[in-house]
Amino acid sequence: MITRPTTDALIGDCCQELTDAILPALTDETLRLRLVMTETVLRNAAVRAAHEIAWMREETAALMAYAAEVAARHGSEPLHAAMAAVEAEPPESLHLADVTGRYERAGQAFEKALAAAQEAGAADLIAQARDLLRHRIATEKQVMASYVVVGR
Amino acid sequence: MDALGPRFERFLAVVEPAREGRVVACEAITGGYSRISARARVQWRDGLEETFILRGDPPPGSGVFASDRDAEWELLSVLPTATPVSTPAVRWYDGSGEYLGSKAIVMDCAPARSLQDEMARAGDAGSLTDLFVDTFAAVHGTRLDRLPARMLRPPDWPAYLDGVLAHYDRMAQEYPSSAPVFRYVTWWARTHQPPPAPLGLVHGDCQPSNVLVGPSGPPLVIDWEFAHIGDPREDLGYYTQIPLEPNVYWVDPERFLRRYRAATGLTEEQVNPQTVDYFLIIGMTALLEQLLAAAAAIGAPERPGILAPYLINAISHQHDMFLAICDRLS
Repeated sequence: MITRPTTDALIGDCCQELTDAILPALTDETLRLRLVMTETVLRNAAVRAAHEIAWMREETAALMAYAAEVAARHGSEPLHAAMAAVEAEPPESLHLADVTGRYERAGQAFEKALAAAQEAGAADLIAQARDLLRHRIATEKQVMASYVVVGR
Repeated sequence: MDALGPRFERFLAVVEPAREGRVVACEAITGGYSRISARARVQWRDGLEETFILRGDPPPGSGVFASDRDAEWELLSVLPTATPVSTPAVRWYDGSGEYLGSKAIVMDCAPARSLQDEMARAGDAGSLTDLFVDTFAAVHGTRLDRLPARMLRPPDWPAYLDGVLAHYDRMAQEYPSSAPVFRYVTWWARTHQPPPAPLGLVHGDCQPSNVLVGPSGPPLVIDWEFAHIGDPREDLGYYTQIPLEPNVYWVDPERFLRRYRAATGLTEEQVNPQTVDYFLIIGMTALLEQLLAAAAAIGAPERPGILAPYLINAISHQHDMFLAICDRLS
């Protein structure tokens, strides 16, 4: 496998081609807008390509730790089932589809855990969930290489 | 001339057969994320020239934001008798898309500029801010009994709010990647309800770009496709997240809201920066659902177009804002 340039570098190079070589030659305003949007999507994809597996695995571990803590105090059948569904996913695979599948299941377990914490009125657990959500959104913001509204 | 021009000319031959309209120019209007718009200049047999806006659905399966053109046509048709604000004069409707390629409303083109552009150009946008606030306060005073029967009328304010939050619950089921945020935010919203306010007509895309101002005459409010009956504070909350500069709410929120309260008679308990924050969450429901649906459709055989992946950032942005609101108001 040719490892360098890395995927994010390849995508970045395509972005540069679009911006520097193709965009200036386009005169149709609608096509120009679509190209600018496309370039933004590609830049975001480059950020994701560089980090998304690590980010998802790290967050999966944190979400599951939270779910386990809630389960120990306010366990419910839906929460236990959601946690079991995570464990049914291949834990060691680094293929993107597997990591994504496990991450989504962990998100569902986290949601069930948060619901249980809310139902129990467990303020400390709700606050902990809020911190995890903050962390999740901080990651989403890193993916937003830029958020500039074009075409409005 | 765009291919739409000849189609429009054939349409005119049907709706105005005696006037022999000839389309002498037709160009797409860029901007806006939902509908396809074009500006067409028509010369009639008697020499009169008129300019029209054609506002149609994008091709099926494309685009991100969907709305009901029949409902918009019906609303635009009754608004002049229901609301004190000026609205586009609608002329004809291709309700089947047979002539214009998709369902399309034809309306007069007003010789006016966007209030957003005027604000950007003005050194001091104070008077334009007042105009904007007064205009939407007037929208919110629209007579609901004159609106189309098809518009949903919530029985009362608590039922309306419950319905919106239940909608978020359904979205959490449908879109798991947003479910944790929705779970947290709806729980928070249920436990931090603001004082009620009378239900009214909500424009649904409240921003100065949707107000046109001309050299004379009242401002014209356009783009009613997301209008519904709800809590008018949704429009205020929605506007706070519009990223176009200047956003005149953020220039001076207290001044903005004082003006709005004076125009509507609502109290400071009902309209303040905290309730506006709250109603950002409530007012984003429908659009956020459409963003999520479009993101879910990426990779499907009928791809929704580049706007869908482009606006994934907007989903993240909403998540961020919602959580920040919960933090601020807790």
